[in-house]
Parts: sequence; structure tokens; C-alpha cells
Amino acid sequence: MANFIGLIRNENMKIYRRIGSIIMLLLLVGGIILMGVIEKTTTEKANDANWKQAVTKEIKEDKKTLNEKLPDDIKKHVKRNIAINEYRLEHNIKPIQSDSLWGFVDNTSDLVSVISIFTIIIAGGILASEFSWGTIKLLLIRPVSRTMVLFSKYIATLLYAVFMLVVLFAVSWILGGILFGFEGVSAPYLAYTDGKVVEQNMVLHIMSTYGLNCISLIMMVTFAFMMSTVFRNSSLAIGISIFLTMGSSIAIQILHKYDWVKYVLFANTDLTQYTTGTPLVEGMTLGFSLTVLAVYFIIFVALSLVVFNKRDVAA
Amino acid sequence: MSQTPIVQIQNLKKKIGNKTIIHGLTFDIYKGEVFGFLGPNGAGKTTTIRMMVGLMGITEGKVLIKGNDISKNFKEAISHIGAIVENPEMYKFLSGYKNLIHYSRMVKGVTKERIKEVVKLVGLEDAIHNKVKTYSLGMRQRLGIAQALLHSPSVLILDEPTNGLDPAGIREIRHYLRKLAQEEGLAVIVSSHLLAEMELMCDRIGILQNGQLIGVQNITEFVSGEEQKTVRFHVEPVEKAQRIFAAKLNDGVITTGEDYIDVLMEKEAIPDIVIDLVEEGIKIYGISEMTKTLEEKFLEVTGGKQVG
Ligand SMILES: Nc1ncnc2c1ncn2[C@@H]1O[C@H](COP(=O)(O)OP(=O)(O)O)[C@@H](O)[C@H]1O
Ligand SMILES: [Mg+2]
Repeated sequence: MANFIGLIRNENMKIYRRIGSIIMLLLLVGGIILMGVIEKTTTEKANDANWKQAVTKEIKEDKKTLNEKLPDDIKKHVKRNIAINEYRLEHNIKPIQSDSLWGFVDNTSDLVSVISIFTIIIAGGILASEFSWGTIKLLLIRPVSRTMVLFSKYIATLLYAVFMLVVLFAVSWILGGILFGFEGVSAPYLAYTDGKVVEQNMVLHIMSTYGLNCISLIMMVTFAFMMSTVFRNSSLAIGISIFLTMGSSIAIQILHKYDWVKYVLFANTDLTQYTTGTPLVEGMTLGFSLTVLAVYFIIFVALSLVVFNKRDVAA
Repeated sequence: MSQTPIVQIQNLKKKIGNKTIIHGLTFDIYKGEVFGFLGPNGAGKTTTIRMMVGLMGITEGKVLIKGNDISKNFKEAISHIGAIVENPEMYKFLSGYKNLIHYSRMVKGVTKERIKEVVKLVGLEDAIHNKVKTYSLGMRQRLGIAQALLHSPSVLILDEPTNGLDPAGIREIRHYLRKLAQEEGLAVIVSSHLLAEMELMCDRIGILQNGQLIGVQNITEFVSGEEQKTVRFHVEPVEKAQRIFAAKLNDGVITTGEDYIDVLMEKEAIPDIVIDLVEEGIKIYGISEMTKTLEEKFLEVTGGKQVG
């Protein structure tokens, strides 16, 4: 075990002492700052004093829409809105504006997809570069199994994602506070479950947003890791993984009328389809998606392990 | 050598696709010796070394390190080996010291003191905290040796360690390896396509050609390992002397030069032939035994194929 921690420390050392990883970190921080500046300079200050009027108006409009002929899932969404807004009026809880601390943190959670891409870049290179540098020969002639070498690289890659998520949260929170004030820090998140509105801790809500986005992150990072292990070519692994990550949602939307689409990885990475939206293909359930994800995950990991363990190292 | 070998190679074969690259090598390597693996480029030296350290799978045969099969008991076997395979490629964006820390974390029991000791041994104290990308080839080679020695292995394997080094660097490496073998009792295996170098560095050499081991011999035996010697007689007149040699020695191979005759004969027969020559009135200016250089011998063994 001490040995395995040593391996992870080695991988961390090789990740963080390279300029590329630092640049990606700076890009992330730069992205957050940019979003903050845009928010601060372009959004008009919402009229705080009159929020109750605005909410009341919204409820009225929503109720009107409910009488129209609309698909069930849209009606469900509207009902949710009404319930939450009524709860706000009742308990005097101001809506979260995008120019508030939590509104900003919520907005920057979109940057998780950028972290996905950065982590894919790390995953695609972490083994392939050892081959291109020639250092793989010195790495594999130690009393450590190849499986452990591979696992340490995989864990270090995921730790990089965790590190970037922590940076995303911390920088967004601090910058949000500086730009929009810390007074809204105790505002709760209003969740709507089983027809009831419940107050939730905002940090918990952000964490679950990050978490849901991370499913796609983990799957694509594992995919990139597998590609680079099998083909030993980091550009190929990174290129294909990023292309699939970005292009998949469009492709899935086009193909969703076919039943077999539900077995495609990307049809299952967005689990919010079971909480707030509708399933992509009728009959898909959360359990089904989790099973599909697990099968893909096991295939990716097993393929990496088998190929890496058998491979002749001739770099 | 009656001790048990540290490294045993038994009928080692490697096939890639349907091409056989290594055709069944068998040899042993002992404690305290420098073993040279000599052969032209493409002979299969690197491939053999890759199999010995577990980087490549073994098609047939066995590699045993202190009795441990490298394919079956990899961790135990490899823990006795330190190696550089081909070029000493290190992490260029890390310092030499960080590189050593990196490898020290992959084995048990390498202390900071040991790292310091090894750095001193290879003479890199001044540059060890600089990034490897600033190192010269010689410095990288030395760092390569340092990482190979970190865990105090019993077997040191270096693939073409003198590649790209200047003569001073080569001398230094040679000095090192001899010292490691003699004083620390390591079994050192070096490969090279350069003969002259092997002659100075090794106790024994194995000649590899087209994936086959042509012979394993002690350096001294290798150069002068025969009963019959070529003896050069500087005489006058050459033609008459040649007739006498032909008559007296029934199977001696004779070649003549401008003012000398080379005869393949046993040393003991020299006095008698001298008497014959003198009696026939032949003037003798000199007699010398021709020892073959390793180079000549090598060319002979490999069928005249030029190396290097
Ligand atoms: N991965 C490989 N696939 C096919 N042939 C190879 C491979 N690696 C080496 N060879 C061939 O094996 C032979 C031996 O190569 P090598 O061991 O590198 O020789 P050396 O180190 O003695 O110069 C060469 O003919 C080379 O072309
Ligand atoms: Mg070679």
C-alpha cells in the first residue's frame, strides 16, 4: 500500500511539474474570471426590492400556460416552477439571481465540461507519453506489476479532475463573493421532489450538479485512457475522445427515435433525464442507464489492463 | 567458475509475427564478472535484454535471475536487476534528483542517504538539482547508471552504455563497471557493437549474430586460445625457405610476403625448423609469434562480416 501511494505521488509529480497542466489550470481560472467580469458588466442589477412582484407575475403566467395544450413533461416543469415560486413568497426566500454568489457558482458549474476536456488530455497522455519519451522502459523494470502502474496513472488522472473541480468551486465562490457580495451565502436551494418543495443546502446542490456532470467526465476520461493504452498515441486518444464528448449530444438527439440508441454510452451519461427531464428513449430507467454505464466502464478498464499487461515494450 | 550463476539464460527465443529474431540463446553469467554482449546492429542484443528485464514476452526458453523466472516471478526477479535499455531516457522536465526520487519510490528501502551515495558514485553532485534537459549525453548516461544502482542490484544490465560518449567518457564508464564488478561483486552485462571497447571492458564476451550466439569465451582465451600459432619468419631468400617449410611441415598453412613467411605451426616445432633453415643457408632476420587481435578473431568467427 505504501508502495501504491508512492506510485500515485510519482504520477502527480509528473502531472503537476509539466507546463501543460499548469496552463490548463490557468485557463480554468481565467475562464471563471472572464465569466465573472461578463456577468458583472452586462447584467442589469435585478431590482431586489421588487422580487415579490416579479415572482407573483411569473406564477400568474405559468398558471395560464398550464391551461394550454402542452406535453406532459413541460407541464410537469411548469408545475414545479409554480410550486417553488409560491414557496418563495410564503417563506420570503429571494430567488437566486445570476449576479449573486450562488447564482454565479451555479453558472460556472458549466465549466465542468471544460475540466472534462482537460482531464481527457491528461488521460490521453499519461501513458502514451511514457512510450514517446522512452521512459516506459525504466518505469516497467521495477518490482511493481504493470496493473499497479496502470492503476496509479488512472487514479492520478481522476485526482487531477478532483483538484480542478475544487479549484472551480473555490475560485467561483470567492470571486462570486467579491463581485456580487457575500450576503446571499446562506440562501437555500429549493428542490422539488414528489410534489413537495424542500429547502436544501446550496453547497450540496452545487456538489450534486458537479457530480452529475462527472459521470460523463469519468466515462470519457476512462475512454481516453483506454484509447491511449491500446493505441499508444495520445493525439489520437485525445482527439477522438473530445470529438465524441462534444459531438455525442447532437448525434444522440438525431438518432433518439431508434430504440438501439439506448445502448449507446452517450445516451446514458446524462442522468438528469430521470430527475428533471424525460428519458431519451421510452422505457429507459435510471437502473438501466447505471447498468449500461457500468458495462462500458468495465469494458474500458478491462481492455486497458489486458492490452497493457500483454504488450511487448519496444519503445 | 564453479559458483552458481546469477543469471541463467536457457534456450531463449523470440518470435515477432512469424519472424524469429532470437534463435535459442543459452549462457550463464556469474557474480563479479563483466560480460560483454557483442554483435553488429540488428543482431538482437536489445531484444535479448528486453526479454531479460521483462519488457518483452519470451516466446520460448527461460531467463532466471538468482533462480527466479522473470516471466513467472517478475517482481522477485526484477528486484535484483538494475538496467538501462537503449538510451538512458529520463524525465527531462524533472531534475536529476527528482528522477531518482521517482524510481526510489518504486522499490523498498532506498533512503535519501542511498540516493546521495549513488549520486556521488556517478559524480553528479553539482548538477543533480538541475533539470535533466540541461544535461549532456554523458551526464544522462551517468544518471542512468545512478537509477540502475539505486536499489543495490546484483545484476547490472547496460545496453550500449558508451553510445555517443567521448573517449574520456568511455574510459570513465569502463573504469566504473570494472570497479562495480570487482569491488561490489556485481554481475555486469554490457552490450556493444564495438569490439575494441569490449576487449578492454569485459572478462567474457558472447558474440551474437542474426539472433544466434556464435560463441562465449574469455577475452584471453578468445584472442590466443589455440594450440597452433601463426609464426612469422623474416628470411632470405623467401622462395627457397618456403620449399623447406613445405617439405618439413606436412599440414602447416603457409603464406608468403615480400620478405617474410607466415606459418601456422606448434610452438614446439620452432627450434627444429630453425636448424633446418640454417643448414640450408637461409638467412634469418627475425622470428615472431603473431597474436591475433580480437578484431581479426571476430571477423574470422563471424565470417568476415564487418561490424560497427
Ligand atoms: N518490434 C519489432 N518487430 C519486428 N522486428 C523487430 C522488432 N524489434 C526488433 N526487431 C528486429 O529484431 C532484430 C534485432 O534488433 P535489436 O535487438 O534491436 O538489435 P541490436 O540491439 O543488436 O542492434 C532486428 O533485425 C530488428 O529489425
Ligand atoms: Mg540495440
